[in-house]
Amino acid sequence: MQDDYEDISKLLRLKRFEQPPPDYVESFLEEFRDRQRSQLLREPAWRIAWDRLCAFFGEQMPARLGYGVASLAVLAAGGVASLNILASRPVVDQIAAVQEAPHPVTQTASLNLNPAVELPELPPMAHTASFSIPRYVMDARPVSYEPQSSF
Amino acid sequence: MADTAPVNPDIDLVARTQRGDARAFDELVMKYTSRLYGLVYNMTANHEDANDLLQEVFAKAFRSISGFRGKSSFYTWIHSIAVNMTINFLKKRGRRFNMSLDDVDLNIQNDKEFIELTASSSPVREADLGELQLKLNESMQKLSPEHRAVVTMFDIQGMPHAEISKILGVSEGTVRSRLFYAHRQLQAHLEEFRKK
Repeated sequence: MQDDYEDISKLLRLKRFEQPPPDYVESFLEEFRDRQRSQLLREPAWRIAWDRLCAFFGEQMPARLGYGVASLAVLAAGGVASLNILASRPVVDQIAAVQEAPHPVTQTASLNLNPAVELPELPPMAHTASFSIPRYVMDARPVSYEPQSSF
Repeated sequence: MADTAPVNPDIDLVARTQRGDARAFDELVMKYTSRLYGLVYNMTANHEDANDLLQEVFAKAFRSISGFRGKSSFYTWIHSIAVNMTINFLKKRGRRFNMSLDDVDLNIQNDKEFIELTASSSPVREADLGELQLKLNESMQKLSPEHRAVVTMFDIQGMPHAEISKILGVSEGTVRSRLFYAHRQLQAHLEEFRKK
């Protein structure tokens, strides 16, 4: 049995003589440089980061396990980022709570003509010397530079 | 001074590449192209596929070399990338492919094993080289990608079991059992060329 397999090995070793053209290695390097340059322009950043992560974990364990651990690392990073976002939520909630709390009705007249629709209560407007309420009513006739017509 | 020489000769080239020296990576490409080409070509039996895959292998290695910490040798690391990418490629390709074989180096006529085989085995003596090459490649393509990888590395490239186990990330026992199974399958396909 061992002899049989030895013969198979000898036959297979003949495949070493299947060789690419003699200048293959040099032309391969040139092609590699060309492809690399064009690929760098197209490669998304996440792909490069993913490859580096897989290489880092894949080196310390079998490749499949490396992919798994790299995926877990990405998920963990995503989880931490989500927690950070959630941790900053209370400020937003407080603002929302303040906005939702019923304000004392101070206005005597309401502009809301349709009682079925509730208009949002707006915070009292700050009146400062430099800030004036915009006026949309025309105070005076606009200046006209056209010659007055006379009949 | 010899004591301080690096055990792994690629360490310096890898470190220079990690610092952004693209010429150092070119040297690594020159150094490993021939060997890795043999690995990928013998698994795919197609020159164009082997060339494209090898381009992708080196591109991937270049992209991820900053994550390489030297826990394994660069040799093992790059072989591991090449084998995994080729296995994935073969699984996607399935059975739809045409063989595109490289020419057989005429130095084969001077090879000790070839002389032995042609002297002792009449089928090998009678078959022309092209026919033998075709039959060998057809037989290899009948193996699963994982078995083909082990046969390529052990029988064709002459790697030891321990190195193959590191590259594939499996135990040496698994390498041996895959080899045993693959040889048994090849034996049936190459029966006519074996020594009588």
